Amino acid sequence: MNGSTASQIPVPSAGRLAVTTAIALAVAVLILVTIVLPAEYGVDPLGTGERLGLTVMSRPQQRKPAALPADGGELKPTALGPISQYPVPFKVDRVVFTIAPYDYIEYKYQLAAGAQMAFSWQASAPVSDDFHGEVNADPNQVQSFDASNFDGAHGLFTAPFNGIHGWYWENPTGKPVTVTLQTSGFYASAIEFRSDKTTVPHELKTP
Amino acid sequence: MTRLSAALLITTICVGAPLSAHDRYRIIGTVTKITAGEITVRQAKDNSLVEMDHDKKTKVTRDGKAAKITDVKVGSTVVIDALGDSILDLLVLEIRLVPPIAATKKR
Repeated sequence: MNGSTASQIPVPSAGRLAVTTAIALAVAVLILVTIVLPAEYGVDPLGTGERLGLTVMSRPQQRKPAALPADGGELKPTALGPISQYPVPFKVDRVVFTIAPYDYIEYKYQLAAGAQMAFSWQASAPVSDDFHGEVNADPNQVQSFDASNFDGAHGLFTAPFNGIHGWYWENPTGKPVTVTLQTSGFYASAIEFRSDKTTVPHELKTP
Repeated sequence: MTRLSAALLITTICVGAPLSAHDRYRIIGTVTKITAGEITVRQAKDNSLVEMDHDKKTKVTRDGKAAKITDVKVGSTVVIDALGDSILDLLVLEIRLVPPIAATKKR
């Protein structure tokens, strides 16, 4: 049987409590200034956020693709002189989007570095478009290939890196705009990003 | 020493808990209320109301030119880009004053 009573439990002195509280407060302030402010608000008075890579967290996040295959690596081409060979047949896709007034939509394909895609899109009225790619390993690393106001574009694209590549279309008008996209290529998957933060994977067809 | 460690651990957890990433939202619709620090918009897509904060950094534009927050009135059609953890917790980055949206037939 333990014979100790409540009165025998050592109670810290007021001085020791004050010191402990002061240390805890100092640590809290230190964490606030070095971690929370840079990460949450981009305020980085000591430069620790930049050094620790925390200021990235305060920036708008690029939406990460849901349920995409790792990197489309299995569709990486093998060069044989002027020929690029792939281990699987190419895929085709056709989608029609109706973009509400002043709204936007993004549609991207998972392509391995060097993989190719032929595309053709047509809009019922000029839209702000940005053909760009996001690096798989770091979705915040975005490269814009072509940004303009067009009502259509047609071309061939060779992915410069493993990542998702595709279009941002914004309707700058007060009326709905329809965009029709047709592609064929050696992509692994396709995904639609809507302005309400929802993502919709699209099924691809083999010709 | 145990108490000191516990206090430090709790402080760290409490201070670190709010760390989170922000997302960018687009809200399109008609202003139903605007005050010094808040704006409420009825969304064109589904008639839902979204309440957001705005501050001195909030940019207001009309036809690509700078405008003032006082130009934003109840009934104005706006395109808002806002930042936050969810649609319930948004800070407005930019308010674009745009012409009214053409009525569309509901399917």
